[in-house]
Amino acid sequence: MKSLDPRINRLDVPEERNTDFRKDPMDQLETYEVFIQPKVDKPFQHEGIVHATDQDMAFVFAKEQYSRRGTCSGIMIIKTADVFTTAFSDAGVSIYQKIKPASDPEDQKVNYEVFHLMKRGKQHTHVGIVRATSTEDAVFQAKMILDQGKPVFNVWVAKSDNIYISEVAYRDIWDTLPEKTFREAIDYRGAEKIKKFKDEQGSQK
Amino acid sequence: MNTEAIIDLLYKIADDQLIIGHRNSEWTGLGPILEEDIAFSSMAQDKIGQSLVLYRMLNDLGESDPDTIAFMRNADQFHCCQFVELPIGEFDFSIIRQFLFDTSEIIRFEMLSSSAYEPLALASKKFKGEIKYHIMHANIFMKQLGNATEESVKRLQDALETAMPYALGIFETSEYEDAMMDEGIFAGEATLRNKWTERIEEVISNTALKLPDIGNIEPKTGGRYGKHTAHLQPLLDEMAEVLRIDPGADW
Repeated sequence: MKSLDPRINRLDVPEERNTDFRKDPMDQLETYEVFIQPKVDKPFQHEGIVHATDQDMAFVFAKEQYSRRGTCSGIMIIKTADVFTTAFSDAGVSIYQKIKPASDPEDQKVNYEVFHLMKRGKQHTHVGIVRATSTEDAVFQAKMILDQGKPVFNVWVAKSDNIYISEVAYRDIWDTLPEKTFREAIDYRGAEKIKKFKDEQGSQK
Repeated sequence: MNTEAIIDLLYKIADDQLIIGHRNSEWTGLGPILEEDIAFSSMAQDKIGQSLVLYRMLNDLGESDPDTIAFMRNADQFHCCQFVELPIGEFDFSIIRQFLFDTSEIIRFEMLSSSAYEPLALASKKFKGEIKYHIMHANIFMKQLGNATEESVKRLQDALETAMPYALGIFETSEYEDAMMDEGIFAGEATLRNKWTERIEEVISNTALKLPDIGNIEPKTGGRYGKHTAHLQPLLDEMAEVLRIDPGADW
């Protein structure tokens, strides 16, 4: 059977129903984590992932996947494989309580970006940069420098050298975003139209 | 100021934006991967939004309201170049078209940013960011697919050769070229074409693609004054289908 969707045709679904059919594992492009900066003075916050061939393409895709609405002044991209994540803590307990020193003073220090998840179901937010000898050490350094006392559920760290941040010169690509209110569900006034339609139907009975 | 010349220029640009926007929106649901599907659809929406700004400008100059201009004309009343009305084809053609068309467009709006016709100068500045992203998108695909595999390079090369005569039709001149230059409205299609050639050469030189011999290609012109391919009228019929059934429809 031929589908109108070429992506379905590319799956090579067998003609015969109930035939064993599996996609090859890992046949997609690699994934990149996308962080959006809603305003110049706000921190970057995690929005989701995109599949892409490299950081440049990830940026191009991220722009339309995650900054189509509201406001945006910048995008940060990190390859998923380059993000180190801690375990999750239990409710009310900070994950930092479980973090032990991991530094070898002989090793060379580099910069790491640090992201905190403060509430379950919310997004990881960029909280700062630490200098550390490894990802584990970066988490420990974050505990020492960036822990504000409130329980942190989960921490992400990634080497600063591995991140892509959109250039300031690109900011004008979001200039007309506030005018695109037609992309907001509320702009369709759906409920209002359904009510009007129902009222009209009712009055015809 | 020469209003006739401005109206002529605005129709060309606005119709280009409306038609390329509708054409590219055909990728919605069919993009090669989900991310690209959304990106292409979003950019198509930008183009249609830009056409609305320009149709409003025409309305201010005494032409009909934007919906009437956009949906109630037939193909022979359209001023878009033939390039924008061609079907989306395979993804290779759509990327080549975006690269060639949007490069012309960003230069056109750069030139118009200093137009003596102020509403157009302001709109051109406003569009700059959106088109900058569209170009970024096109150039990344050109760079990657234009250097990837034998198949990707061949596909882009074939699409480039098919597209080029139509792309050159973008720069079809009008009877107002001199008048527009004299009044500082627009520096003209010939200048635009020269700048465009330089920019596309630069991008193509960073790929395994070969730029066709532009000087020896006969441009597909006529679109600016109502001579269109057989592809435009069915597109217009589809665009106006709802409006024609129910002119008062609201959604």
